[in-house]
Amino acid sequence: MSGTNQNYLTHPKGIMSWLLTLDHKRIGLMYLFGGLFFFFIGGLLALGMRYALATPEADFVTNDQYNSMYTLHGAIMIFLFIIPAIPGALGNILLPLMLGAKDVAFPRLNLASFYLYTIGAIFFIYVMISGGVDTGWTFYTPYSTESHTNVMGTTMGVFIIGFSSILTGLNFIATVHKMRTPGLTWYKLPLFVWALYGTSLVQITATPVIAITMVLLMLERLLGIGIFDPALGGDPVLFQHFFWFYSHPAVYIMILPAFGIISEIIPVHSRKKVWGYKFIAYSTLSIAFIGFLVWGHHMFTSGQSVLSQIIFSFITYFVGIPTGVKIFSWMLTMYRGQVSFTPPMLYALSFLFLFTIGGLTGIFLGAVALDIHLHDTYFVVAHFHYVMQGGTIVAFLGGLHHWWPKSFGKMYNQTIANICAIGVFIGFNGTFFPQFLLGLRGMPRRYATYDALGSEELVAQYAATHGSSTFFSGILGLSIFIGVMNLLWSLRKSNKLDPGTNPWGALTMEWTHTTSPPHPHNFEEEPVLEHGPYDYDKVIVQPTLKK
Amino acid sequence: MSEEHHITPLKTYLLVAGTLFFLTAVTVWASYIDLGSFNIVLALLIAGTKAGIVATFFMHLLWDDKKNATIFVGSLMFLAIFIGITMTDTEFRGAVNPEIKDPINKRAAFYNSLPLTDDHGYPLDKEKNHHEGDKDHH
Ligand code: HEM
Ligand SMILES: [Cu+2]
Repeated sequence: MSGTNQNYLTHPKGIMSWLLTLDHKRIGLMYLFGGLFFFFIGGLLALGMRYALATPEADFVTNDQYNSMYTLHGAIMIFLFIIPAIPGALGNILLPLMLGAKDVAFPRLNLASFYLYTIGAIFFIYVMISGGVDTGWTFYTPYSTESHTNVMGTTMGVFIIGFSSILTGLNFIATVHKMRTPGLTWYKLPLFVWALYGTSLVQITATPVIAITMVLLMLERLLGIGIFDPALGGDPVLFQHFFWFYSHPAVYIMILPAFGIISEIIPVHSRKKVWGYKFIAYSTLSIAFIGFLVWGHHMFTSGQSVLSQIIFSFITYFVGIPTGVKIFSWMLTMYRGQVSFTPPMLYALSFLFLFTIGGLTGIFLGAVALDIHLHDTYFVVAHFHYVMQGGTIVAFLGGLHHWWPKSFGKMYNQTIANICAIGVFIGFNGTFFPQFLLGLRGMPRRYATYDALGSEELVAQYAATHGSSTFFSGILGLSIFIGVMNLLWSLRKSNKLDPGTNPWGALTMEWTHTTSPPHPHNFEEEPVLEHGPYDYDKVIVQPTLKK
Repeated sequence: MSEEHHITPLKTYLLVAGTLFFLTAVTVWASYIDLGSFNIVLALLIAGTKAGIVATFFMHLLWDDKKNATIFVGSLMFLAIFIGITMTDTEFRGAVNPEIKDPINKRAAFYNSLPLTDDHGYPLDKEKNHHEGDKDHH
């Protein structure tokens, strides 16, 4: 091959060539490092809270500081890391490569999305240095119209990042429709592409609503118009409808790309054709749609009508069906495959385990009668960490390990990566499983202290459970940190892979048709499709890198 | 692959403009009739029709790639889902627990009409005030 020395990382050079780049891979990397930065900050806040909760009394932080910590932790993790990380980073890097395209459909718009993300992030940094914000990531009225903390800055940040999300979604939809290489029909698309497509649909349909909600909230704060304030004829529960009409679909913005990653990792590392391709593809779309009909399950104690309670509870159960379809398809894919325990696969396996627990406890919470007891307790905290961290972040780490050699042409130390993957699994369960128990015993979420919550015996029980949760959160934090450091350490100069390498023996186009790291224009000539993405029964590719 | 650009006859434009003016007049006229809560529904229906006409003719949805029309109709559908399901709450609040129904400012008055109670829900009559079992005042 000619010109294989040229790759997108080194060509062209210079800081401006990065800041003004229109290359989807570079934009993806900038999202990646931006996201990891905020993951780090959000993680520090989390460890701080766990430290404060190890004992029942207030020590280390004041109550106000604690309120600010959980709000910023949630808002940063969701809006600056989880939502943009997979589509913005892995999606950007991989989508055109998987389609055999030169770039996304609108490269300039893509850069604009990243700029908007950066501006939103600056707002968040401003909020952090101006004393924080204490409404919770949900900004419920009436408190959010009254709080003296920096609600305006945060909502502005969320508003702007929302537009970044919408533009990325729009771009990806156009890319999937228009940029596929000849012969790459819909049913030959890698499942990660289907997942990104479903995610993008949700992004462009749901995200405008959060933008409107934030504007209404700002108007209410600034001008005192009565949208949510009952004294002025408004309705505070309406805020929750607005918020969750976005934020429940948003949880699918968070999880669908993770599903996509798992659908890529499992067949490659089991050397087997994916089971139920169409099931997985269509369940993505049906989850995206059903996700719009269930938002009221977050409002079972808000005073909404009994009719709504019943409707939302009923529809919530339906979400379990397409989700179950996926889980079983993945398990059947592994069945009788040659499963190898590589770092991406270990993350994928722990995803299956953790996400299943998270999803099933979601069904518990979808039952009105049970949720009235469990709402706003640690049970909910455990549920959403099982799906968001155990699901999305674990899948993200798996994907990062899977495509790291593709993005950088470097292989990390796989033994350390495996140890960290196991550390994440143990640390995660140790941190969050006890929180289900805490919630069942009535421990409310968002409390800075719990010494006055009940009898001495109960407080002692809480303290023991919180204590072990805190202990394991240390293991979790350390495992993720070392895991990421292990990746970064692989970037040192002396470490190099052969550009033609296909370390896992994958069949999707980003591995078979271009170098690692890829050429600045992705493919030196228009790629010709020779086989489907998962034809391990027909084509034999050997992994080029043995452990 | 340039698509053929559709040229709309002037007559269509004038007809559409006429319809829009007419519907505006209907909106004004309808606002003078008291139809209760149906007033707002009617106003929205007329406004929605007008927006639809503008999109169909002036914005050429009728002659464009049908994907654009699909997106337009799809977004209306999402709006309908949002407003429709939210109304299963707002319209039926209080169907089972009447005290949830009234907005909070009226609710104060509603509670005023009830017998006063202490923090534990016991009536505040002098005679019954000190319950035997009620010993959890620390
Ligand atoms: C099987 C699918 C799922 C079901 C049935 C489900 C159900 C629920 C229910 C009923 C609640 C409300 C609990 C309460 O506040 O009392 C809840 C909360 C939550 N869920 Fe899920 N869930 C599912 C999957 C997910 C996924 C995939 C994610 C994200 C990736 C997620 C993220 C959340 C979050 C963030 C909250 C808490 C929001 C808050 O109040 O701050 N859930 N879930
Ligand atoms: Cu939800």
